[in-house]
Amino acid sequence: MTTATTATAAERAVPGPRALAAGGLATLRRQPLLLVLALLVLVFQLSTGSFLDPGNLRGIATDAAALAIVAVPLALLVISGYLDLSVGSTLALGALTAGWLAGEQAQSPVVAVVGALAVGAAVGAVNGVLCCYLGLSPFIVTLGMLAAVRGLAQQLFPLPLSGFGDGFAWLGGARIAGIAAPVVIAGAVLVAGALFLAYTPTGRHVFAIGVNREAAYLSGIDVRRTPFALFVVTGTAAALAGAIKASVLDSAVSGTSGAGFELTVLTAVLLGGVALSGGSGSVLGVLLGVLFLGCLQNGLTLLSVPTFWQQMAQGVALVAGAALAYFGPRTTR
Amino acid sequence: MADMTEPTRQTDATGQSGAANPPNLRITALNKSFGGVRALDSVDLTVPAGQVHALLGHNGAGKSTLIKCLGGAFPPDSGTIEVGGVPHTRLSPRESIAAGVAIIFQTLSVVDSLTVTENIFLGQEWTRYGRIDRRAQEKVAAELLDRVAASCSPRDRVGELPMGQRQLVEIAKALSRSASVLVLDEPTAALSGTESDALAARVEDLRRQGLAIVYVTHLLAEVERLADAVTVLRDGRVAHHSTGARQGRRELVDAITGGRGAASADSAEDRAASAGVSSARERGASAVGAVDPPGSAAPDPTMATTSPTASPTARLTVRGLRGPGFGPVDLTVGEGEILGLYGLIGSGRTRMLETLFGRRRASGGTVRVGERVVEPARPADALAVGIALVPADRRAQGLFPGLSAQDNVLLPTVGTLARRGVRALGAERRVFGSLAEAIGLRPARPGLPASAFSGGNQQKLLLGRWINEARAVDVLLLDEPTQGVDVGARQEIYDVVSTLAEQRGTAVLFASSDPEEAAALAHRCLIVDRGRVIGELSGAELTEEALLAAVHDADPDPPPTSASAPTPAVPHAPHHEGAA
Repeated sequence: MTTATTATAAERAVPGPRALAAGGLATLRRQPLLLVLALLVLVFQLSTGSFLDPGNLRGIATDAAALAIVAVPLALLVISGYLDLSVGSTLALGALTAGWLAGEQAQSPVVAVVGALAVGAAVGAVNGVLCCYLGLSPFIVTLGMLAAVRGLAQQLFPLPLSGFGDGFAWLGGARIAGIAAPVVIAGAVLVAGALFLAYTPTGRHVFAIGVNREAAYLSGIDVRRTPFALFVVTGTAAALAGAIKASVLDSAVSGTSGAGFELTVLTAVLLGGVALSGGSGSVLGVLLGVLFLGCLQNGLTLLSVPTFWQQMAQGVALVAGAALAYFGPRTTR
Repeated sequence: MADMTEPTRQTDATGQSGAANPPNLRITALNKSFGGVRALDSVDLTVPAGQVHALLGHNGAGKSTLIKCLGGAFPPDSGTIEVGGVPHTRLSPRESIAAGVAIIFQTLSVVDSLTVTENIFLGQEWTRYGRIDRRAQEKVAAELLDRVAASCSPRDRVGELPMGQRQLVEIAKALSRSASVLVLDEPTAALSGTESDALAARVEDLRRQGLAIVYVTHLLAEVERLADAVTVLRDGRVAHHSTGARQGRRELVDAITGGRGAASADSAEDRAASAGVSSARERGASAVGAVDPPGSAAPDPTMATTSPTASPTARLTVRGLRGPGFGPVDLTVGEGEILGLYGLIGSGRTRMLETLFGRRRASGGTVRVGERVVEPARPADALAVGIALVPADRRAQGLFPGLSAQDNVLLPTVGTLARRGVRALGAERRVFGSLAEAIGLRPARPGLPASAFSGGNQQKLLLGRWINEARAVDVLLLDEPTQGVDVGARQEIYDVVSTLAEQRGTAVLFASSDPEEAAALAHRCLIVDRGRVIGELSGAELTEEALLAAVHDADPDPPPTSASAPTPAVPHAPHHEGAA
């Protein structure tokens, strides 16, 4: 599959400014998930009658925000040919660090958040050094870190934390121009990610490294620094998502916070058309993947579908999406 | 494979194919194209039992494609492959082996960590009560080794054996699988002189035992010694075929090159001027009008070419460069000079270029760009001092297939064009646009993914990476600049390179295994054999024929030609007289 599909995927994945201005039809052709998402929304609205209520939409957006914040940097990492499976544990460690600083240590919310981000960056840096500079397999390294960071979190915070104070609750609960703070942050991350990919030299290098690392190296591109930075950003983003979750829930539990989150994020990224083999993907696709998962989960909950069915639906969606990408129409060659 | 479980039967398999005795191998009207390029054009090849059939042709003539169709790696587009009288329109690798075809590639497919016996029986192990019957296997392995006169023991680990012995193990493995057709792909390329002699003797034994042997080689001396029949491929077609009487070298060289050398009288000047071998000088001059990058006034176009050996300024100076598998190498490329490194595949040219580019570490020697001594540890270092490499393996090392044409050209340069960290999209488009025009990119669409372009246009993209307005290097290294490129685009690429050298004074060092290319593109050409420069041709001496003669006549033994003496232009003329 690789050459044919990545070729088309990448062409659609690299929207130059002109492509951004192109009409909705072209976007639809590039992002078939948009159509699927619209159908999903239609079905849920018809069957529940309340799916499109503003209150429910706000709920979806807030739930999806944490996902989007991690999905964007993770997508960039995957585009550059790497992978991070440790984000669920990093999220937990970030949540616990922020909660501990804000609650037990009674630090200001800013200190709490910055502390969480620093911890996340540190985890990302470890991943990055091992994968990019020592050349170890990202799958193995981050799988190991998934377990190790979770273990560390449980060692440091054996008991559930809660009662983080009103100041810290602002992060998850405040409204900025009527929009929940997490959604604003997620929006900023999405825009930053898209601009980075399209308008910075390093953004182009991300694609180059993912498409053909050897050719990128022979072109004088630094093939280690950029993915290393993306590891750090991904870890930081996971910790930020953790802080937001801690703030929203006013609690953090070392055993369960963010458990399975890495797979949900990866599902969103892959559903969004980012190739696991690297070199192709777009932030718009990631947004659609995140919204799709958010809507699916919310709609099924509204329909009182049991959780295990929801999980199955998520899994089926991912495999079906992959199958469609593989067997679907190929434009070039 | 099911009928292959008893490898002992092979001993008499070769002669028993029935009263009619069809040839062991008969390939008829085989066609194979790769994306519009005809790799094989109605190729016929018949090899009866007990014949050594030499397959000649220079790199890219279609030999490998033919072998790969035979081995089942590629399905042919049309034609039949008949093995032992059974016709096939296509073969899978398994079917090919089952039919009795054994191919010994240059890169052997033995498993180093296993013993000789284990290698021979790999995939067809003999078992007894569910366990491998080691003793029985070793007994048969010993017989097979005896048959190929290998000196190794069945219990030796293959990784510890010398190259020649490994090759014999692979041949023994082929025999154990009842092979009736044995294909040897440049079998002596990796062997020492004595090993080569031993192999020749084995080939003669196997011929006597009734195998049909296809012997792929570049060395005419081997053809003269071993071959009962010769087929020469050129541009995917059978350019020459003969059986029985030994061929004159001249005739074969002509067939390989397309008769360009024979058209004229003996004088080298005439030959250079004959049709087909148009020099880079002529074409460079004619290309000035067609390709005219803005902002660069053309200097006197004859400056670099009138006396290339005494060029005014040396852009690249290499002294005593050594690395794994090559050296020491001395060379100088002047401003505006195009220097060729001609040699067969595996002669070390690629390593030399990669070492100059910082892709590999040099183990000794000095490299200077202009006056400055450089020691690039990474490609990025080499690029920083103005050395760029366009690698031979376009797909693996050069191209970003899914990314757009513009990205492919400008990715290394977007950073320099950017202002305050933001890409200068207008400037990028403009640089790409004028480059696309200068190099004749077709289609000139910046957004089209590189994988959608033809091989020639992909190569132009890779060249364009280093010779655009935003980034122009001082020293351009090209490895097989037109590999897998169709004939028309080939000429365009030569024009681009020639113009570049003339107008910007870029020093170009290219490696090629195609003598036609070396003669057409280079101002001056070094002949490389086993990691060393064994000769130099320039001016009127630099012809396709002279280059071919220089490497094909190179003895399999250590090169007798002294490193400094230029190879004479027509060293094999006496052979021609004697052999005909």
